[in-house]
Amino acid sequence: MVVHTDVVCPFCGCLCDDLEITVEGGVVANTKNACAVSRSKFMNHGKNRLESATVDGEPVNHKKAVDAAAEILARATRPLVYGLSSTECGAIGRAVELAELVGGVVDNTSSVCHGPTILALQQVGEPKTTLGEVKNRADVVVFWGSNPTEAHLRHLLRYSGMPKGLYIPEGRKGRYIVAIDVRETRMARFADKFIKVDPGSDFELLLVLRAAVRGSKIEAEGVAGVTAKEIEELAGRMKGAKMGIIFFGLGLTQSEGRHMNIDAAIGLVTELNHHTKFLITPMRGHYNVGGANTVITWQTGYPYAVDFSRGYPRYNPGEYTAVDLLARGEADAALVVASDPAATFPAEAAMRLAKVPTITLDQKVTPTTMLSKVVIPVATAGVEVEGTAYRMDGVPLMLRKVVEPHGEVPSDAEVLDMIIERVRALKEEA
Amino acid sequence: MKGVEVVIISGRTSQQGAGLEVGKTSEEYFKSASYVELSERDAKALGVKDGQPVEVTTPHGSVVVTGRVSEGLDSGVVFFPYGPWANQVFGATTAGTGMPAFKGIRATVKPADGKGVKTLAELVDSLRRWG
Repeated sequence: MVVHTDVVCPFCGCLCDDLEITVEGGVVANTKNACAVSRSKFMNHGKNRLESATVDGEPVNHKKAVDAAAEILARATRPLVYGLSSTECGAIGRAVELAELVGGVVDNTSSVCHGPTILALQQVGEPKTTLGEVKNRADVVVFWGSNPTEAHLRHLLRYSGMPKGLYIPEGRKGRYIVAIDVRETRMARFADKFIKVDPGSDFELLLVLRAAVRGSKIEAEGVAGVTAKEIEELAGRMKGAKMGIIFFGLGLTQSEGRHMNIDAAIGLVTELNHHTKFLITPMRGHYNVGGANTVITWQTGYPYAVDFSRGYPRYNPGEYTAVDLLARGEADAALVVASDPAATFPAEAAMRLAKVPTITLDQKVTPTTMLSKVVIPVATAGVEVEGTAYRMDGVPLMLRKVVEPHGEVPSDAEVLDMIIERVRALKEEA
Repeated sequence: MKGVEVVIISGRTSQQGAGLEVGKTSEEYFKSASYVELSERDAKALGVKDGQPVEVTTPHGSVVVTGRVSEGLDSGVVFFPYGPWANQVFGATTAGTGMPAFKGIRATVKPADGKGVKTLAELVDSLRRWG
C-alpha cells in the first residue's frame, strides 16, 4: 500500500493540492480530503474505459489509429483542433504545434465557458489576485452567477468561506459573503446575503451598483428585480471592505450581454478601488482551462480561437471558435483532445462532428467518441500521467502520477507526438 | 395542453460532475443530466408531479426529460443541468462571441405523459441522422 500526499486534484479550477490518495495493488483504494467529484474521479478512473483504439468502430492498434488520424488531418483543408482544458500543459503545447502544422484552427473549451471573460479582460484589464491572498485578507466575498456548492466544492472550505486567514482570524464569521443569482441555490443559503436578480438582467444591476458606489441616488424603486435599498446596502458593504473580491461564473458569461457583463463587473471593481482594495476572479471550470489559455497564448499570442490557415496565427472569437466553425459547416475534420463537444455543444453544432471525420483522444466512452471515426484511448493526466496545470487564479501546480495508465495506454502528449511525426512524413512524401 | 412559458437557466451540478467521472454512459450520468427543475407554481399549473416527464420546446428543438419540483425557483424559470439533453433545445448562434446562449433561453414546458426520456445512445444517433 502506498499513500501519496499533497496530490493535486485534476477536476475543477480550484486544483486542491492537499489530497491523499491511497493505492493498493496498483489501484486507487481510497481518497482523503477529496470532494465528492474528485473522489468520483479518482475512484472511478478505471471504469468505463475505452478498451481499444478504433477506426470506423473496428478495434485497431495505436499505430494504425495514429496513421488514420494523421491522414485525415494532413488531407483536411480546415481541420479544427478542440478541447485541451482537461489535460496537462505539455499536451496542449503539442496540440498547438499540430494545428500549426496542418494549417488548422485551435480552440479550447474556454470559448464555451469564460471566453467572454477573456474578451472583457483584453479590453479593460484584470484586477486579480491569488486564492491565498483571498484566504488571508478578503472580508467581503461576492459570488456573482457562480455556485461553488455545486461546481467548486472546496472553494468555500479552502479559500473563500471557512478558513482562518492571517487577517481573517475568525474564519467564516470574519467574512461577509454575498450570493447574487437568478435562483436560490445552496450557495444562496450559505451566504450572509442572497440577492435574486431577474434572469438576463445582471448588466443592469452591475451598472446601477456602480452608480451607487459612486454616490448616485437611485430614483427607481428597484432595478433587475432588486430593491434600491438592497442595492445601496450592498454598495455600502462593498465600499466598507478591507479587501473585497467578486468570484463570478457562467451566470455572467453565458447570459444575455456575455462579455459586456464582465466589462461591467470590472467597471464596478474599478469604481470600488477608489474607496478600498477590490478584486475579481473568474471561477474557471475545467481544471486546466487556465493552462489551455496560457499555453496557447505563449505559443501564438492569443488565448483561444486561433486560426493558422495563412501560416501565421490569427485570432477572432465568433469566427474561429469551435461552435461557430461547426455550425457554419466550415470544419472538414476535427481532432478532439480531453473534451466532449458532442455532449457540451448545442446539437445544431455538435451534429457536424458526425458529418466530418472526427478523431478523439479520451479515456472513456463519450458521445464524442461514439461519433468519431478514429478513437484513441489515452492515460488520465493527474492520475496516470504527471504534468502542469494552471489554477483559476493563474498559479501553476504540478499534477502527479499515482497509478500506471490503464492498459498501458500512452498519454495525450505521446499520441499527439506520434500524429505530428506521421503528418510530417506524409507532408514530405507529398 | 398549451404549456407554460419559461426561461431556461442551464448549469452545473455536483451530481453531474460526479456522474461524468463514472462515465457518460453510466446510469449516474443519465440521471444527473436528463431532468429539469420546475418551480412549484409552474409544476402545479401543468399538473406535473415530481418525477413525471415533461417536454421542453424552443425554436431550436424539443426534448423530453424528467420534471423535478424545486423550492428555489421563481415561477417562469426552469433549471436544466448541462449536457446532451439540454443541448437539444439550445441554438448555436453566438452573436460573434463564440459563446452560445446557455442561460436565459425562452421555452415552453408541457406535460409529456406516455413519452419516454431518450437515452444517451438515442441522442447520439439523432446527431448522426441530423439534416
